[in-house]
Amino acid sequence: MKRIYVFLAIVILFVPLLLLAADTSPQPLTGVEVHSLGPQKVGNLPQVPVPANNPQTGLKIMLGKQLYFDTRLSSDNTISCATCHNPLMGWSDKGPTSEGIGSQRGGRRAPPVSNAAYLPLQFWDGRAPSLEEQAKGPIQNPVEMGNTHEHMLRTVGDIPGYVEEFKNVFGTTPVTIDQVAEAVAAFERTVVTTDSPFDRFVRGDETALTPLEKQGLEIFNGKAHCTACHWGSHFTDGRFHNLGVTQSGPLKVDDGRSEITKRPRDTRAFKTPTIRDAALRPPYMHTGGEKTLTDVVNFYNKGGGTHDAYLDRLMVPLGLTDQEVGALVAFMTRAMTSLNTEVANVTPIPTSELPK
Amino acid sequence: MKKLCLLLLVLFVLQLMMPASGHAIPALARKHGFNCNMCHTAYPKLNDFGQRFRDSGYQIPGQEGKEKNVFDTPPPIAVRTSTGLSGYNTKNATTSGFDMLGLDLLAAGVMHKNISFLFIYTPRIDEPSADYTGSQDGTNPLQLGAFESGNVVFSNLIQDALNVRVGRFEPAYHAISSKRSFYLMEPYEIYSFSTPGNNFVFDDNQIGVEATGRCRCGFKYGLGVVNGTGASPDNNRYKDVYVDASQTMGAGDGQSAGQTIGAFVYYGWQPLTFSGATPSPTGEVGGGRNKPFYRFGGHAGLNWKTLNLQGLYMKGVDDKSINVLTPTKDYEFDGGLAELDYAGLKNNRLIASVLYNWVSTPSYDCDREVKAYSGVLRYYFGDWTAVNVALHAEYTHRETGETDPLKESVYALVVDFAF
Repeated sequence: MKRIYVFLAIVILFVPLLLLAADTSPQPLTGVEVHSLGPQKVGNLPQVPVPANNPQTGLKIMLGKQLYFDTRLSSDNTISCATCHNPLMGWSDKGPTSEGIGSQRGGRRAPPVSNAAYLPLQFWDGRAPSLEEQAKGPIQNPVEMGNTHEHMLRTVGDIPGYVEEFKNVFGTTPVTIDQVAEAVAAFERTVVTTDSPFDRFVRGDETALTPLEKQGLEIFNGKAHCTACHWGSHFTDGRFHNLGVTQSGPLKVDDGRSEITKRPRDTRAFKTPTIRDAALRPPYMHTGGEKTLTDVVNFYNKGGGTHDAYLDRLMVPLGLTDQEVGALVAFMTRAMTSLNTEVANVTPIPTSELPK
Repeated sequence: MKKLCLLLLVLFVLQLMMPASGHAIPALARKHGFNCNMCHTAYPKLNDFGQRFRDSGYQIPGQEGKEKNVFDTPPPIAVRTSTGLSGYNTKNATTSGFDMLGLDLLAAGVMHKNISFLFIYTPRIDEPSADYTGSQDGTNPLQLGAFESGNVVFSNLIQDALNVRVGRFEPAYHAISSKRSFYLMEPYEIYSFSTPGNNFVFDDNQIGVEATGRCRCGFKYGLGVVNGTGASPDNNRYKDVYVDASQTMGAGDGQSAGQTIGAFVYYGWQPLTFSGATPSPTGEVGGGRNKPFYRFGGHAGLNWKTLNLQGLYMKGVDDKSINVLTPTKDYEFDGGLAELDYAGLKNNRLIASVLYNWVSTPSYDCDREVKAYSGVLRYYFGDWTAVNVALHAEYTHRETGETDPLKESVYALVVDFAF
């Protein structure tokens, strides 16, 4: 009997120690608010969060839109933000991964700009904590715009139209990289796609979804486990998951989020993309390796891809029938595609109308 | 007098067939906004995701610490009950009527990162006016109900390789859960079989402490130290111990995908004499001369699409000192079950299942041999947003005894409601 008491005493003593030990792992980026789990109901998008140090103004948004569509931000005047984040391709590109300056192929697929304003971390690996920080990256990426911030600023500074606009918006000269980033981010915060059939259904229009799409929504939030990650109004948890996607494209190895956090458990984990407008931007996954939404659902249905040591524990086979796959794809195709092109600021600015 | 005895027998049998309370916790679905199918193939049976969710202390696997706790979410309370028509037929008795087959009041949630709880209160609904004011010696229930479960889970202590559950819980050696079975009426004969002279019931939830864990290779374990007396106070000086180990092959967790094989051993102690015993301040009436008994066996599960075939074999041995029928021999028995579940229609709205049970006893106790054949059909109504109603039809044909077996037929057509 004494042995039992000794055993129990050891257990009671060790539980708090083990709890403490479990908390000693490195923490992710600080100062970034990621939503708590539960409730995770899908629904309409709320107002776009705007940082206090970069308020939205009409002039700033217009300036940002001009910069977004201006290829002169790249080193050889061929690549703009819109080249890879094309509003006519669901704010992404034809893929599978993006083609940058000199026809160089990027290592990852272009994530959509639409609704990115709701995400706490940007890029597939979450290395940028804001849209402003994200906007600075591609300009100096050698396989994207291939420029330097200094050279880009000189280029912009030599365009009188831009100089005047920057002065009107920010009140100072010369143009800085922070101002460029803030203007682009302000524009990107207007790229919000809200008016999908799903949104209308949530607002009470029972006819907005077809019976098949309603079944798809039911499966999306249940048997297919989609809302375990694709939840909330933005249909993403903004977190990082290793789905076992087979690496393809120029990068032979891509460790994803762990390259930023240095945590082994983040190995090959990538950010959950939104489902909104997903049908507009095939192919899928960070490699663009899945050609259609049906391919994506079949990928999940079999429990994901390669079962490496860091595969997310959420990845389990789903047991979906072909009919259920069809319902799910129907829901993601029409029901999740936005109809509000004006609100989404989708119309490109022709080169001829850019500042001179 | 005969009629009265017959009526009492029927009531007794129906009482035995009261549902093993099921664990479907709509409060957790409400918390997250999920449909029940997120965790259940169809409630109450867990799917792979649900199994990992449970193992992870009712936290989304891999997202521990990001869960809102019970203080930031709606009250984590749920109810489940099954009400409808049930009937019982033997050669000499036929009865049927409307019954409330069970009622569970559940609460579960996360209190803090990796600390969660589960309470299941099962009020007695069969004899509401019964007098339970008898002697408080641990042999009479003191209230009109019991906590079927009441435990705290310390999860992910070493990632997902160590979780500790303390309190009254469904032990890990229930490789096939009777609490989350599609069958409502005591589904597994081998679980509920008890030997003469030994009050251990394999099916009982136990009070104690249990460690469980898994590795990514598909290996799972569970080991625990418990009283072995269900909800009753302990009756001997030794604790019972058990271990269960299983391996899942292929993707999944063996619940709804992947193939699983496993084994378990339970080693317990049973007192022989209570003569002169007096209850302890906590109600324990410890007997003397504790003798051992053990149960061991294996289990397997096969999944193909939405078909799930699972089976369990168990052998039990009680020390001859416990064997009140033939004290010169150990009491040995064995038995098992084979169950085939099918989930059909969109989102698994239709469940069909067949189940075979058997228990083989020694020749000197052959009147307790059991063979049982059961079938279930369930159809789920509702819109799957944490309010669920299932129309449940269940039939069991049971034969007890080797010579001139007692043939019983039990059926139920009930509404199984979880909110």
